[in-house]
Amino acid sequence: MSGETQARLEMAGITKRFPGVLANDDVSFAIKPGEIHALLGENGAGKSTLVKMIYGIMRPDAGEMFWNGAPLKASSPKAARRLGIGMVFQHFSLFEALTVLENIALGMDGGLSSRALEAKVREVLNAYELSLDPHRVVSTLSVGERQRIEIVRALLLNPKLLIMDEPTSVLTPQEVTQLFKTLRQLASEGCSILYISHKLNEIKELCDTATILRGGRVVDECDPKQETSKSMAEKMIGGDLKAVAKGTERTFGEVQLAVNNLSLGRGHAFGTALKDISFSVHGGEILGIAGVAGNGQNELLAALSGEQHAEADGVIELCGRPIGTSEPSTRRKAGLCAVPEERHGHAAVPDYSLADNGILTARHRRELVRAGLIKNSASHDFADEIIAEFGVMATGSKATAGSLSGGNLQKFIMGREILQTPEVLVISQPTWGVDAGAAAFIHQALVDMAAAGSAIVIISQDLDELLALSDTLSVINEGKLSAPMAVENASIEEIGLLMGGVHGEPSLATKPEASHAVQV
Amino acid sequence: MQFRFEKRAEPSRTMLYVTPVAAVLLTMVLGAIIFTIIGYDGIGAVREIFFTPLTNSLKWQDLAVKAAPPLIIGGGLSIGYRANVWNIGAEGQYIVGGLAATGVALLTQDMSGWWILPLMGIAGIAGGMAYVAVPAFLRVRLKVNEILTTLMLTYVAVNILNYLVFGPWKSPTSFGQPQTVAFNDSQSLPYIIEGTIVQAGAPIAIIVALVAWFVMSRTMFGFQVTTVGAAPKAAAYAGFSANKTILAVLFISGGLAGLAGMLEAAGPFGRMVPQFPSNYGFTAIIVAFLGRLHPIGVLFAGVVLAITFVGGEVAQTTIALPNPAVGIFQAMMLFLLLAGDVLVRYRIVRAGATGGREAI
Repeated sequence: MSGETQARLEMAGITKRFPGVLANDDVSFAIKPGEIHALLGENGAGKSTLVKMIYGIMRPDAGEMFWNGAPLKASSPKAARRLGIGMVFQHFSLFEALTVLENIALGMDGGLSSRALEAKVREVLNAYELSLDPHRVVSTLSVGERQRIEIVRALLLNPKLLIMDEPTSVLTPQEVTQLFKTLRQLASEGCSILYISHKLNEIKELCDTATILRGGRVVDECDPKQETSKSMAEKMIGGDLKAVAKGTERTFGEVQLAVNNLSLGRGHAFGTALKDISFSVHGGEILGIAGVAGNGQNELLAALSGEQHAEADGVIELCGRPIGTSEPSTRRKAGLCAVPEERHGHAAVPDYSLADNGILTARHRRELVRAGLIKNSASHDFADEIIAEFGVMATGSKATAGSLSGGNLQKFIMGREILQTPEVLVISQPTWGVDAGAAAFIHQALVDMAAAGSAIVIISQDLDELLALSDTLSVINEGKLSAPMAVENASIEEIGLLMGGVHGEPSLATKPEASHAVQV
Repeated sequence: MQFRFEKRAEPSRTMLYVTPVAAVLLTMVLGAIIFTIIGYDGIGAVREIFFTPLTNSLKWQDLAVKAAPPLIIGGGLSIGYRANVWNIGAEGQYIVGGLAATGVALLTQDMSGWWILPLMGIAGIAGGMAYVAVPAFLRVRLKVNEILTTLMLTYVAVNILNYLVFGPWKSPTSFGQPQTVAFNDSQSLPYIIEGTIVQAGAPIAIIVALVAWFVMSRTMFGFQVTTVGAAPKAAAYAGFSANKTILAVLFISGGLAGLAGMLEAAGPFGRMVPQFPSNYGFTAIIVAFLGRLHPIGVLFAGVVLAITFVGGEVAQTTIALPNPAVGIFQAMMLFLLLAGDVLVRYRIVRAGATGGREAI
């Protein structure tokens, strides 16, 4: 990569405004051929907006984009693809019931016979040593394999620029290693890669240059290999990053949550059945449940929250009391609070005020209802208390949940549950899509809550998060939960293999093939 | 110049209130144009339908009579619609409620006493509830769409009514007319204002609206209903049973429709006749939507619809406008309201316009 070559893509003074928000403000940067360029920023920093403009989904209000020196006028994704811009989205658009090949055929702009297409697909798979069976049905594939379909789709167009939007958020460490290998190979062939992420370790490992966005503006451009994760994080959030303070001398109390041989059928056609899950959590203990999305996390949370009933009452015990077939309200009254992964429409009602969202789960424990009547001032006081104690940026208890940013809504939801001081808190993806500052706050709140004696279960796809917070770690894969291991003794390779589907005692797991595992 | 829709950051509260009013005004404008084109006095039609009932004080008592049934039914429907439960067969529940009350009246033909009317009221409510129980259980047990079942059962109810008044319930003294005997004094609603035709329906309608408003805004039950409708997953997470909520709102709407049927049978009709189905159950759907599914809004909407009913009758005699014209006006109102709803969540901007300056 000589500095003299013509930039593949250049953004000059790009500005994009939405009602009430300046999403991109005078953003400029350039990507050279064969360069792996990171676009780094918190949620809402303007990364997605920027990428949508490159890919022709939106048009900038001001500024210019240049493609190999000529003005870039991609009016649609189709036009962008014709120019050689490929994109792999964070959320895949695949038909579960169709095969890999059928899915690829559906996404192609030009008609091609299925035989010719298969030959081309196999060519790409071989060239990049990607393992994927073109005739498998998508619903049987792992998330990593599904992502490979999207990558193959993009590669079939011989892209000159490949945009990857948060590609590793759902991958196991081994899959990440494989992905990075593919991306490096692509880059060495001259394809530029725009890599969007907020995972600093990955950016350090993979990228040549990083453009850091904050509040829609470019705050820095740096060489990630010369930076530390901490220094980049601080540029990203524009302040000091506090490490989670976890007490060193941790003692656990009695078992507060016990799950005994929980099995549940799959709720819907593409759901995951839970198979014979057992674990227990003591007071003061944080149990982390790692796993790739779609391996039964949502089903497990529903079984614990009470949205799904277990086969028998004794399957779930809260402080010794059987609650396996109790309703969610009964479980909450008894001291078990749960937070599902999806915030909008599940953990909170977007159209409701924060006060009403407080009533949703805290009405019994915080006595917001008496004799069937809503206590109006009490519910507003409770919402105000959450806003104050958890630093929620909101106009007040009357603001709708939908008007809050993702991180602020998550802080509100966490505050709502934590202020009910439950004996057991089960929470899925506590910091999914949440900015680093809010994530640090939520992490500290969880640690403090455990220190005060609550038993906490964190279900997360973010291994870093689990390793930082948990005392004990288990991995969920295809509805089965691995034996718990103490976090001090856990190895990333073992966890990765368990996430990928090797079951049994952690110590019996086969040796990892990948010698260079991702640093955490 | 091109326009396009742009999603609002928050649903517009202004539009929430403006669009129903705009729908009514636009209905007048379009109605005047349409009826002029097809050869009627379009402006006269709008004047007679929308304004004469208000300016002519003799018509006010008609308004009170006509507003009551769609108000009572619409109040119940609006609760159900909040939960995304679409009972559109209130007309059928209204008929069966009226029939149940008539049944009580026929059994107590030779009796008198204060207890007969309340008993007829209870029978009316029970009849409406029983009739909605079929779609209700089909919905919660077998997930059968209640829109279809409630609507289809309406036509069954009409046939039951006809069978009864042409057959076993036909009055022996009616000279072959298909109708029951007239209700006696203990079976008829008293006039609450001396010298008018206003009976108990109107005050009951107001009470229903106030109670519904209280229940929906202040009680846990109202919260539960709204949550099930707004976010079913959040409702399950909060511990609200979707099925119980669906049953409850269907029984409430069915029961209120049945009550309206009893009030009509024991009020303006005074007996059961084949003309008893007067589309109040369908009008109530428009009332519920025009009132933004808010009990107090429903109160205003009910009056607006009553105006069109009374005005339609006026226009029939004064400018010879055919009666179905009223239906056209009412349908147009609902259509324009639903079309205008898009403005609550979206704004119109000129294509290429950047900020919100030219937004509507």
